[in-house]
Amino acid sequence: MKITFPSREFDEVVAAVCHGSVSDEQARALNELLRSDLAARDDYILRLEIHSRLASEPDLFVAVNQATDASSPGRGTPLPQNVLPLQSPRRVRVRQLSWALALAACVALLATGWWGLHGWRRGERKGATSKAVAMLNRVVDAEWESRQAAPRLGAPLEPGWLRLKSGLAQVVFYSGARVVIEGPTDLQLISPSETSCRGGRLTAEVPPQAKGFRVGTPQMSVTDLGTAFGIEVGAQRTELHVFKGSVEFQPEGGATKQNLQEGAGAITESSRATWLITARPEAFASLFDLRAKSTAAEALRYDQWRAAGRKLNQDPSLLIHFNFDQAEPSNWRLHNASLRNDVVPDATIVGCQWIEGRWPDKQALEFGSVSDRARLTVPGEFESLTVAAWIRVQGLDRQFNSLFMCDGFEAGTIHWLIRKDGVLGLTVVGPASGKHQIVASTPVLTLDQFGMWLHLAVVLDGNAKLVVHYVNGQPVGEKPLRISPPFRVGAAELGNWNASGFPDNDPTLIRNFSGAMDEFCLFSRALNAGEIRALYSAGKPQPEPVAAR
Amino acid sequence: MLPDSTRHFGDQNTAQQRFLSLFLRSEREIFRYVAALVPNVADAEDIVQQTALALWERFAAYDPSQPFTPWACRFALNKARQWIERRQRWQALLEGGLAEELALRREELRPELDARLKHLEGCLNKLPEEQRSLVEGYYYHRDGIEKLAESSGRTVAATYKTLQRVRQALQLCIENATKPEGVAP
Repeated sequence: MKITFPSREFDEVVAAVCHGSVSDEQARALNELLRSDLAARDDYILRLEIHSRLASEPDLFVAVNQATDASSPGRGTPLPQNVLPLQSPRRVRVRQLSWALALAACVALLATGWWGLHGWRRGERKGATSKAVAMLNRVVDAEWESRQAAPRLGAPLEPGWLRLKSGLAQVVFYSGARVVIEGPTDLQLISPSETSCRGGRLTAEVPPQAKGFRVGTPQMSVTDLGTAFGIEVGAQRTELHVFKGSVEFQPEGGATKQNLQEGAGAITESSRATWLITARPEAFASLFDLRAKSTAAEALRYDQWRAAGRKLNQDPSLLIHFNFDQAEPSNWRLHNASLRNDVVPDATIVGCQWIEGRWPDKQALEFGSVSDRARLTVPGEFESLTVAAWIRVQGLDRQFNSLFMCDGFEAGTIHWLIRKDGVLGLTVVGPASGKHQIVASTPVLTLDQFGMWLHLAVVLDGNAKLVVHYVNGQPVGEKPLRISPPFRVGAAELGNWNASGFPDNDPTLIRNFSGAMDEFCLFSRALNAGEIRALYSAGKPQPEPVAAR
Repeated sequence: MLPDSTRHFGDQNTAQQRFLSLFLRSEREIFRYVAALVPNVADAEDIVQQTALALWERFAAYDPSQPFTPWACRFALNKARQWIERRQRWQALLEGGLAEELALRREELRPELDARLKHLEGCLNKLPEEQRSLVEGYYYHRDGIEKLAESSGRTVAATYKTLQRVRQALQLCIENATKPEGVAP
């Protein structure tokens, strides 16, 4: 049996697949068609999508019923089910039963109202929301309790526990309060203006707008009145030291609230009355050192990266290395630091802003407006290519946000981009006009990662016929390459795209990147996973979070 | 924060609730992901349920800084693979890497699919009453095909055929409602 597309047979076999009645012979024939005919494959996906939406979106029917009721009340014979509750009772019961079965094995949860609240709920729409209350903005030698729970620098923090085993970490609450903890410390983030510490040491600096910031300990509750203060929490006792301004504190157990002024302190112990002391800032000296220490750590990372870069530049396959380093703000050239800069000249910057990069002393190039871009030209033909960049995403404004795109749609060229939904894409243009392959990852860039430095890479391996996307040294998507070498770059742009002759009234043709770039490499070969990981390791802004176990 | 740090403080219940809340929010998406491979509704629902079990078992390894749905879909793909392996005709349908290709391609096409499928509601509304109530009975009330055939006075085969035609009519309506898109990618 052989199926063609489009055809009546195709229609019938797809319907049989949907109804679960497809025969072996039909299945084999459909498999063969879908693997060879891309148009049939896409049509098949659309048909299945219609089928699966109908099966999973009861809202569709409720809405239709409502619309029918409203627009044509007298139409036909009104069926009893025209007046529907949000969920038909039968359906709710089926779901209850199936879920109870599915989850009973591990979740000792009977249907206690959960199913009524959740399930296929009308009006539930996906939106960009965040429960984060704070962010981690500096760390020095931080060692966290578990590697999995180790927060990344710059990461938004949701309510929950931060368990720092050793080292220093600074958490900025969204209210503006700045808390430095020194390990070992367990800090619970509760809200943008409330935290709790069950053991350890912290200092808090609270600007006027965050007045009222609260820190709870097992022995007392402290409410800030515009200050800087330190707290040490032991097993049975809490020490409070006020360095600046004043705070209000209340020992646990219902004692009255008291005010503490600058230079004063208090100690509460479970078994004793509170007694007042003189504040000792020197006891918290190590926490005040955070800024100096983190600056030193950053300078060290920066030096290590530069050393690694000098070594990298010796690689003869490195066609381009824009390190965005030591550039003058007025500079409109991106210097190619690779050995091959005799072949691949510097890039020309159009628009853009020079801003601070991964480290305070290092620059990066910011792309913001529709015209911002860096133009370059790479001559030659290649069997394989690897592109890598350090970027910081500001927003995914366009359907396709260009990282690195060759002009137009020339045969053998590539477009490296981030799609609006956070998917990394590499488009490879085939030799025949109109043919191209889009190799996409799953959606990997999420709102949480915006504003953080990320290392992205893609390997186009013409020899192994494979494309692999990477984020921070980890592969995130791999797909067979259907277009054969040679590949070319020619005229290309960072952070934008020159459509070069395509109709200019199409909104998808505006593809400027919104964010910053602080390193860019192009290799004329396929780097392996280890090499990509090494690129990431050499350039990451901070060492990986360290876990104690 | 991770569930294991929550559990550390003895609040297993919170982890369950977080899991359920995340899962239920993603359930439809996971279902459609699975249905792109195994479209038969009852089978796809079975696979989604097995996925739910697997996800809960591995929930401690879930990194909340990452979106839940893609993480869940990786498990769903594995569960679908295991399910397919035990059924010859589904194996025949999805062999040679077609399962993975369909999953990836669907991901690539997602903006286009979303743009088209937003017309589904309007198109359903335009169906003749008889067709609409058939679709509603089949997809929404999950009535068996025999019952639907009986109540419409058709044979079972003719009822399946009608469902096929209605879906094709919906597809045509959706295609017509969707303006031509710009050049890819």
